[in-house]
Amino acid sequence: MTFFIWDYIKPTLEIIILWFVFYRILVFFEGTRAFQVLKGLTYLLIAFLLSQIFGFDTLNWLLTKFFAISIIALLIIFQQELRHGLARLGQRHLFSIGLEESEIIAIIEEITSAVYKLARLKVGCLIAIERETKLQPYIESGVLIDAHISSEVLQSIFVRESPLHDGGVITRGDRLIAASCLFPLSDNPNFSKIIGTRHRAALGITEQTDTVVVMVSEETTEISVAADGRFIPIVNRERLVNILKDLLVKETKKKKNEKPAPA
Amino acid sequence: MKNLLLHNLGLKLIALGLAIITWIYVNGELIK
Repeated sequence: MTFFIWDYIKPTLEIIILWFVFYRILVFFEGTRAFQVLKGLTYLLIAFLLSQIFGFDTLNWLLTKFFAISIIALLIIFQQELRHGLARLGQRHLFSIGLEESEIIAIIEEITSAVYKLARLKVGCLIAIERETKLQPYIESGVLIDAHISSEVLQSIFVRESPLHDGGVITRGDRLIAASCLFPLSDNPNFSKIIGTRHRAALGITEQTDTVVVMVSEETTEISVAADGRFIPIVNRERLVNILKDLLVKETKKKKNEKPAPA
Repeated sequence: MKNLLLHNLGLKLIALGLAIITWIYVNGELIK
């Protein structure tokens, strides 16, 4: 009797586990370029299974050969996503600047204040806040500054008369490391046609690293936050502060909780 | 609870379809 029940439970359990794995893979790739490829592959997989069921030998042969070589093709197509995914797996802590919560909140206040003043002056800006992934290659593309983060410094960098106003600034901990930095542009098909270069740069850097970007659009003076290759809409100052706290302070708390107690 | 079930329903159904197809295919192969 026990074996009889297990015969039913086992396949159900197996299908639930498989469902969970497939669902997580689909969620991981959702909204990225790789998702389109994944959809195409799903159709091919269904065609392959149907060809097996109906015994279409030629189609079956072609698809078997195709799947064999597609492993290499997949590695090339998914290169960016794999790199991003593996980098995330290797990250034990997401925000490792070693600052106290009050210090991070002070930085958030400075950035928020700068962003709102720049938006009022209709000046665009792009501020990348480094977390676990180091932004050294992008720092090297700009001009080193190494200043304390303050609303005034950020404003003076982005005003049109400043020689450093092109590109983005990078902050690390409580320091503003570099300005006029060049970021990789996103080629996400869902965004690239409708957004400007500054937005594409904000998306690009967050797709490839765990950076949080705060930006102001020069055309619309809209304020946005980008993280994990997605934009988070900002409706007011309070929301901006809360989102940055969620992204920066909570991660630091998590990190501190993981630290072993001193002996 | 209802929201949790309905969130990303399309993806959940696709994943369920893929899981069932994979299970049937792999079990068919094993029986052979």
